[in-house]
Amino acid sequence: MLRRVHHRLRRLVRGDGILAAKLGYNPNSSSLGVDVTFLLFGVSAIAMLTPVFSLLLRRKPAP
Amino acid sequence: MRRFRAERWGGIVQLQTPTALVFVDRARARALGHDGGAAWEGPDEQAEQLGDSPLSAPLEAHLQLTNHCDAGCTGCYTSATPGGLPHEHDLTAWKKSIDALADAGVFHLALGGGESATLPWLGEVARYARARGIVPNLTTSGLYDDATLERLVGWAPLFGQINVSLDGVGDTYAAVRGVDGFARADRALVALRNVHPDIGINAVLTRTSFDQLSTLFAHAKKRRVSQVELLRFKPSGRGRRDYEAQRLTDAQAEGLLPKVLRLSVWRRLRVRLDCSLVPFIAHRNPPPRLLRFLSIYGCAGGDHLVGAKADGRLTACSFAPPPEGSVARVTDLSTYWQSKDAFGAFRSWQDAEQPCASCEYLSLCRGGCRVVSLHQTGRLDAPDPECPRVRAHAAAQSPPPSPPSPTRRSLPVLA
Repeated sequence: MLRRVHHRLRRLVRGDGILAAKLGYNPNSSSLGVDVTFLLFGVSAIAMLTPVFSLLLRRKPAP
Repeated sequence: MRRFRAERWGGIVQLQTPTALVFVDRARARALGHDGGAAWEGPDEQAEQLGDSPLSAPLEAHLQLTNHCDAGCTGCYTSATPGGLPHEHDLTAWKKSIDALADAGVFHLALGGGESATLPWLGEVARYARARGIVPNLTTSGLYDDATLERLVGWAPLFGQINVSLDGVGDTYAAVRGVDGFARADRALVALRNVHPDIGINAVLTRTSFDQLSTLFAHAKKRRVSQVELLRFKPSGRGRRDYEAQRLTDAQAEGLLPKVLRLSVWRRLRVRLDCSLVPFIAHRNPPPRLLRFLSIYGCAGGDHLVGAKADGRLTACSFAPPPEGSVARVTDLSTYWQSKDAFGAFRSWQDAEQPCASCEYLSLCRGGCRVVSLHQTGRLDAPDPECPRVRAHAAAQSPPPSPPSPTRRSLPVLA
């Protein structure tokens, strides 16, 4: 039981299976704008964002 | 209701709060209760291959609802005029186009022009897109009368985000656009921000405006905008005429990323850079896997995005002409998307020549901006000649300057 919880928690924190995330909208009708703010954090941005998205994906969407 | 679109490697989940498209592999998609159906019938592609082949449909479509605009900006990339284009789509035709985009699984629209805010049916287009499950977004110049602005303010809640084109503050705006419209654009920014939390600024980077970015970010903060989106000046439409004088200098291009990130931290503002600026991002050597994770791609025309001219003709991106020999319209998207050689050079980036062919960023940058390549070299598929790596390669390839030829001296004439 404990092992299963631990495994699930680890998977959640690692954000397994999340390949990429495109943040926000691009209202610019001439080209594709991408949010570069997270480049400030270097690769740690991946470690920061994956658990967040992992949790958000698990959350039940509003009807 | 959360949208999911199956892809060969898994799928894309649309989050509402925060707004994001999250790319997940098949296992994660299954765990979330999604079924990939026909898209998962083939072998499971590895995460590393994400981006190597086109998506099943674009993520967003850029619709030039009209090419009508009275402003007459000197660098207008669509060469917009007060008369617009002949045979422009009307509301019914755009609704059919939105149907086609919704059926294909497109998530977002970016509506522009010309100046779309002058269309009496813009609100209806936005409402219809929402009804079909697509989030409409808008770019507007603000260069119109108060009644038009008031009408747009009423429609604002229909849009996910609206960006106002503000290429600089005060005189800088006029220097970039050739039109003194700062006050009108700024009043639109204020009016829209009063009714919508997600209002941003679009700013075209030129060698004049680059040095004034700090002032622009300060103004953006003052106006409480949610983000600043910076765009590379493109040699398209009227922009072709003074491209050389307006484009960023090589030193500015190389210093772009650290400069905007510094300003982003200083002003606590989110910043977006457009796809054509990715070669300048790659110049600073960010880890490729970070760029892939954040979906920072260079030329994603004909893959992540498609464009449509005011008469509905399909293009890889708004700056590009319709693909050679193609008569495809947005309503033909699903058929054209799957066709062999669709979007021509936009999809053949894997055949890039050197130095792109051996560049570790090729699958992300995809050879830089095709429109700049076409203008500067005459070829859509040539490496972006303004990319610092391409410039360095060209300099290394060019023969060393020949030693100065010995000066011929006249022999003394002996009398």
